[in-house]
This record gives sequence, structure tokens and C-alpha cells, in this order.
Amino acid sequence: MAGQNKQNLEQNNSAPQRQLRGLYSKVNISVKSLNIIIIVLAVALVVCMAIGVSNAGFTVQFDSLGGTTVESQKHMYGELIMAPVPPTREGYLFDGWYLDQSTTRPWNLENDVVTESMTLYAGWRLQ
Amino acid sequence: MTMQETNASAKGGNQNVLLKMEGICKEFPGVKALNNVSLTVKAGTVHALMGENGAGKSTLMKCLFGVYSKDSGDIFLEGKKVEFKNSKEALENGVAMVHQELNQALKRNVMDNMWLGRFPKISSWCPLTSEKKMYDETKKLFEDLEISVDPKRVMSTMPVSQRQMVEIAKAVSYQSKIIVFDEPTSSLTEEEVEHLFKIINMLRDRGCGIIYISHKMEEILRISDEVTIMRDGQWIATREAKSLTMNEIIKLMVGRELTNRYPEKDNVVGDPLLEVKSLTAMYSKLKNVSFVANKGEVLGVAGLDSSGRTELLENIFGIATRKSGEIYLHGKQVFNRNAQESIANKFALLTEERRATGIFGIRDIQANTTISSLRKYHYKGIPLLSDKKLAEVTDWGIKAMRTKTPNQKTQIRSLSGGNQQKVILARWLLTDPEVLLLDEPTRGIDVGAKYEIYQLILNLAKEGKTVIMVSSEMPELLGVCDRILVMSGGQLSGEVDAKTTTQEEIMTLAAKYA
Amino acid sequence: MTEKEKLKKVGDILLNNAMYIIIAVAVVYIAIMRPTFIKLPSIVNILSLTAAKLPIALGIGGCIVLTGTDISAGRVVGLTACISASLLTTVFKIFPGMTSAAPLPLVLLLVIGVGALVGFVNGFSVAKFKLHPFIVTLSTQLIVYGIILMYLMRGVNNGQTLSGLADNYRSFITGTLFSIGGVAVPKYVLYSIILTIIMWIIWNKTTFGKNMFAVGSNEEAANVSGVNVVRTIIMVFMLAGMMYGITGFLDGARIASANANTGLNYECDAIAACVIGGVSFVGGIGRISGIVVGVLLLQIIFTGLTFLAVDANMLYIIKGLIILIACAIDMRKYLVRK
Repeated sequence: MAGQNKQNLEQNNSAPQRQLRGLYSKVNISVKSLNIIIIVLAVALVVCMAIGVSNAGFTVQFDSLGGTTVESQKHMYGELIMAPVPPTREGYLFDGWYLDQSTTRPWNLENDVVTESMTLYAGWRLQ
Repeated sequence: MTMQETNASAKGGNQNVLLKMEGICKEFPGVKALNNVSLTVKAGTVHALMGENGAGKSTLMKCLFGVYSKDSGDIFLEGKKVEFKNSKEALENGVAMVHQELNQALKRNVMDNMWLGRFPKISSWCPLTSEKKMYDETKKLFEDLEISVDPKRVMSTMPVSQRQMVEIAKAVSYQSKIIVFDEPTSSLTEEEVEHLFKIINMLRDRGCGIIYISHKMEEILRISDEVTIMRDGQWIATREAKSLTMNEIIKLMVGRELTNRYPEKDNVVGDPLLEVKSLTAMYSKLKNVSFVANKGEVLGVAGLDSSGRTELLENIFGIATRKSGEIYLHGKQVFNRNAQESIANKFALLTEERRATGIFGIRDIQANTTISSLRKYHYKGIPLLSDKKLAEVTDWGIKAMRTKTPNQKTQIRSLSGGNQQKVILARWLLTDPEVLLLDEPTRGIDVGAKYEIYQLILNLAKEGKTVIMVSSEMPELLGVCDRILVMSGGQLSGEVDAKTTTQEEIMTLAAKYA
Repeated sequence: MTEKEKLKKVGDILLNNAMYIIIAVAVVYIAIMRPTFIKLPSIVNILSLTAAKLPIALGIGGCIVLTGTDISAGRVVGLTACISASLLTTVFKIFPGMTSAAPLPLVLLLVIGVGALVGFVNGFSVAKFKLHPFIVTLSTQLIVYGIILMYLMRGVNNGQTLSGLADNYRSFITGTLFSIGGVAVPKYVLYSIILTIIMWIIWNKTTFGKNMFAVGSNEEAANVSGVNVVRTIIMVFMLAGMMYGITGFLDGARIASANANTGLNYECDAIAACVIGGVSFVGGIGRISGIVVGVLLLQIIFTGLTFLAVDANMLYIIKGLIILIACAIDMRKYLVRK
């Protein structure tokens, strides 16, 4: 810790024309360590992207809101959802899948395509 | 201390070469910053390094400390070839630097700063730091150097001069063989300068090699044994200080003869323009200052550091809070509650700390020149700025001040101190002021540019403007001003005529309430 | 020596442009894997999304120029989106007493006003109390979030998502501006362009803009030079607030609904876009064109990753890394110079 302090102070002294201002004004770092940071982060970024791509696919979950459980599906961008087995619920009739719990925005299984991971909610009508 | 004394130790001293820099070259994109520069420092001598701003002095030092990597050339320390990677390594090898602008841990106390990074341990098996050891050793060192500072005092409560002493003590505590002083006296009073010189002489007698960088010629001739002069990144000459005169140095530095350090005074002092009545500041010790400044007059303000000179200007300009007092311009009261109002009342303030409160470092010359008078460059009838007008006035500023810059889109921080000062002066002239308040207008500026600034000041006076100029350099005040106000301890301790007064008289007045 | 220097120069260029290089490579990869990515519909989609996210970045850009930041942006967007959606609707859940949708211009002015008000609070605290913008906007962000939640509990809404927006509101924003190759370009692209032009004029052609850069690069010097620092800071934050207000107005209709999570994390995207676009945290540096490029690049990479069906959870990690790299590169640029 003490050694670190000293180094900071010395670097300070060696650069009287302190260049970093603003949000970085307290930052004391050498170009070399910055290079390492940039490279490490860039590698991490590429790795994350690679992992993301290799695990590609959006998960579509079905929340039956009290009905029988429906298994989730995995889809690529722009794919249609395969119609799952409709859930059942005592005293209610199933009337399709919706994007929100309050069942105001219906999901059209023939036309709407997957663009992100999401959860679809079951719509129920009183029998 | 006399010349004889100063040089006596040089003769008796050890003449071994401590540091040798040979054929140092450093090129930046487009500029040859150092071209085959050599420097030899002997043990037990003070070696002055002189040159205008931009001559390459600091670049040379940065190459020594490894801040910049040199393109070619060798550095020998006590005959051994060295190449420091950073200033820490240099320090560990006995090469230290006392900076012009101090970077210290201001919230910590003196001894923490002294021992930062190498806190003494209680014993070899106990890793806790020993406050007592730190205190004792600091105390001993200070006594050695005759520095009267309490090691437990917090840095931020001390004046710059004392903080600098701590920095020097720190360099000494590392057992440094080479100590570089970069403009050490720029924030010191005469008395403190004496003390500094005493310490430098002490270090020299111990066999240290001192590299002393300064613009102040009187100092150089007094303290140094040898002088190396640089110009435009080139080595010009290394002479014995004894054999040099001030004019010779200037000639070598500037490359031309400067017969006079001050331009001829031909301004005519007219009627009273500005009257300040019992000005008292709210948050500083400025108290009850009254004076009158005339049209076409250059009014100097002398005094020690922290005697309230800067505060006086800040209070007149309205960027510091006034407690009481009145300001009259043309006999009419003006309030100057903030900078905008002062500018509207035709006041202008050139601040002391150019880098902190003067320039917008990363902005270009144009932005720096026009910032205070932007409203004048609108299109007719539309409140939008005209690029053409901005470029025109900036061009005027560059030409009128004879600023050396590649073009007006250059970042101001890449200019030398003198040229930056000219840009700021141009900024203020564009606001069309009647009263110019200049705080240390020539601080950190090389000799050639100083002359130009003096010329500008006198020209402004000739145009009938009032210039109030604060300066720590007494010869400068005597050379440029008509009258000199002397401040002491926040009060006005006297007013003298620049033609008839002497430095002694001013010094006596400056010490009146101190 | 020269060989070494050349290598150093190449290294410098590579590192300073690491972000752009990664994005370029990623785009090429995506284009090969999913050729539809570079087809017209996808390009129009990217441009529209860029336009949607531009105003908020333009607002935050000013705060960054002042060496500050503004993390209240997303919540202000959320609030103004909720206000717009509650007033310009057909199912008055928040105000059960209303019978017809409020006039469009009135609502627009209202949300701009709300944005400006939050901006004023931010700016005033930053300028007068000398608090760090991060702390100030962190607080206002929470306060605004609380207000959103309470607002959504009003009337008979009970915290639900607001939808069922008025037709004239939706068509005013998402209506077709023109079609190219059968792909509709929404109207908000035009509004975004107008806002960009206005901001460009403010930044480059007005006294206020120049003062903003002056304050950003050296506040002390700006004060001495006669710049009204307090007013400049407040105005920058208010201007930013107005931009968030407009974004909220556009977003309500664009997403066709608004809830408490609308606008969440928008400020992260905007800050990242600004830094990628060369608006530096060093202060006093930045250009409108840079911000536009920054938003566009960020949109390209994220749309691309969506095309590859990269999971949204991973996208957060990637976003975080991008901000870190952008800051490190930004810092590096100003360390190396000179």
C-alpha cells in the first residue's frame, strides 16, 4: 500500500503538467497499465460476444397464470413460435397468449416473430 | 551574502564530475525539442540552466528523469551510464527534483509527506509505522536545514514557500547527490529566497551537484558557479558565472542584443479615473484600502507574498466577496458584484495563476481569445455567432500581440507561457477595458516575451487606459510603473513614486504590518 | 529505433481505435452469418432506433462536456413517457375524469417542462451547492422513480402498464414519413434530425455553447472571464432535461405503452455513445457529430447481436465492458498526447 502511494506521488512529480482533468482528475495511471487494461477488456468483450453467439437463441417462456405448466422454447432471431399445447385451468377457457399480464397486447402465433427473450402470458376467460 | 562568498566554496569544492549528459536529442512530431545538448554538473557546484521558455530546459530534465525517453545521447551518473525509467528510480539513485508546481498530499501533515512510500517501521519484525521515528528524523533534518516547520503541521495550512522547503528537505533526506531546482523562487519572498540560498549553499558544501533552473538573472548570478544557456533546443554556451554579466546572458539566451530590459516610458499620466475607497474583504485580510488611479497611468502594487495584493485586485474585480468599500469610475460609483458586471463596467483582470484561472488549456486560441466578448460577434440581428467575425478578431489578437502560434485552431496549452499570456491579454483587450488589473503579468515568462509584455502595458497606458499591475519583481515595478502602492498584511502601507523610490524603501514599507 | 517507433505508432493507432475495430469486425461477422442484417429493412430499423436514442445522448453530451454526467436521464424519460401515455390515451385510467385525449402540443410542452424542471433541480444543485453531478443525479433519479410509481398508482390504474394510446399521438410519432423499397421510415426520425440540428446550432453557434465548453475546460478561468458559470451549468442540465422529456414523449408512442420500467438504463447507452463518440470525460471536448456516430455505432452492434440471438442478459455484460473500454481509451488519448 505504501509503495503504491509512493509511486503515485512520484508519477505526480514527474508530470507537473497534469493532463487528466474532469472526471479523471483523481486518476493516476501510466499509459502502459492503461494499454494492458484496454487489451484485457477488449479480449473479455470478444470472449463475451463469442459466448453469447455460441449460446445463441432467445428463450420464450410461457406463464400460464395459474393454468397447467407450459415448457419454454428456444428460438433464433426472426423465428415464429411453435404453438405449444394450450394450458388448461379449472373454470376458465384459454384464449391465446399475450405480451403482458393484463392481456392487452396479444401475440399472433402466425405472424409475430421472436426478436428478444420474453415471457408470454396466458389469457383466460371465465367459463 | 556577497559574490565572493558564493564562489569561494566553488573553488574549494570537489570538482569531480557528478552528472554528465551527452549529445541528448529528442524529437516530438514536427519539433526538434532537443538537438545534441550536453550538460556537465560537477560535485559541489551550483549549475544554472538558463534559456527562454521553450528553449528545452524542462525537456532536458524530463529526459534525465525518464519522463521522456531520449532519442539518442547518454547520461552518466558518477561515470556510470544510467537510464532512469521514471523519477522514482532517479530518486533512488540520488537524483531529485524540486518542482515549480508542487504536488503534495495537502491533507496530510509534513512528516507524512516526507516519508510517503517509505514510512519507517517500528522494528524489522513489526510492520506498523513508527510515528515517533518519523517525527524525530523529520525534526532532526529540519534543524539541520534550519527550517522552522512543525513536522505535524498539515500541509494545506502552510504557505507555498514552506511547502517548498518541505519538498527540498525531502530531496535531501533521500541523500540525493544531484538536486534539480525548477524555478524554486517564483512563489517565495525575498526573505525566503535568502533562506533557500542558504540551504543550497549548504548542500553545495556537502558536495551535492545542484541544477538550478530560473528566469531571474540576479539570482542566477548570485548563486551559481556555472551557467549553461540553451536556446531553441540547442546548447549555446557553458560559462563560469563569474565571467558573465546580465546583458551577456540575455544576449546568449535571446540570440540578439537587448540593450534595455524595459521599454522607454512615454505614457502621459492624466486625470483620476478610478477611485477605491476603504475596500475591505469579507474572507481575506484585505482591510481598508483606498487609492486613486489616473488615466494613462501604470500603477504598481508591491508587497510580500500573501500581503493582500491579489486579494485587492480580486475584490475590485468582484470575484472575491467585499465586506465594505466603494469603487468609483469617472466619479460614478460602480458595484462590480461579479465578473460579468465588472467587464460591463470596463474592468479587466489578468489572473496570477495562468494555468488554473487563465487559460482554457484544451480549447483553441480562438475560443480562448473570444470567450469574454462573445456577444460582440453575433450576426446582425440574430443571436448566433459568426465564424467569420470570430476568426477576424482572433486574427487581430494574434497580430496585435505578436503571438507565436501555428494558427488560431491550436490548443493554447501547446504554446509557451509568454504566448499564452499574450492570448489572455488579447482576450481582455477585446472587452475594451478602461482599467486593466494585471496580477503578475510576467510570471514564468522568458526575457524576450517580458519585454514585449512591458511594451504592451505601456502602449495601453498611452492609449489612456489605467493599468494596475501587481508584481513580485521589484526591478520590474520600478522599470514600468509610474507610482507604486505597497501592501503589507492586507493593508496599504504606503505609496511611492517609481522614479524616486528605491528597493529598500519599498521593502521597508512592505514589512510595516507583516 | 525507427522499426520500434513504427511498431509503437501502429500499437497506438490500434489501441486508440480498439472500439471501432471490434465493432467493425463484429459487423462483418454478423453480416456474413446473417445476411438479412445488411438488407434494407434492418438498416432502416437501425437508423430509426438510432434516431430514437439520439436526443437523450445529445442531452447527456452537454453534461459530460461540463465534466459531469447525468444518470437521472432514464427515469426522466420514464416519467415523461408515463405522463404522455396517461394523457394521450383512450382508456383514462390515471385520470378517470377525463373524457378525451389532451391536445398533442400541450402534452409535448408539459413533458418538456417536466424534463426542464428536473434538469433545473440537477443543475441548480450542481452549480450552487458544488455537489458532484453523479451524486445529485443519483438522488433525483430515485426521486423521479418514486414519482413515477406514485403517478402510476393514481386513479384506477393501480400501477399497471399504460397502453391504449390515442391514434393521433401514435400516428404523429410512428406514422410513415416516407417509404423506401417498401420499408416505412417513421416520423420520429425527422424529429430527431431536427433536434440534432438545433443542438448543433446551440453547441457551435451560440454564446451559451461556447460558454459551456469554457466552463467544461476550466471553470475558474470561465468565472474570471465573465462567464456566468452558475447559469451556464443550470442551462446545460435543463437543456438535457428537455431532451429527456422529448425522448419520453417519443418513446411512449414508439413502444406503444409506458410503465415504471420505461427508460430504464437509457442513460448507460447514452453515456457510452457519447464516450465512444469522443465526448471526453476530461471535459470541454466533444462534438455533436461524434455523438451521432457514437449512438449509431452502439445501435449497430446491439442490433447485430440481437440478430445473432445473443441473450439479453449477456448484452448487459457486453454493454458494461464497452463503457469500460471506451473510458479507458478516452483516458489513454489524453494521457498520450504531448
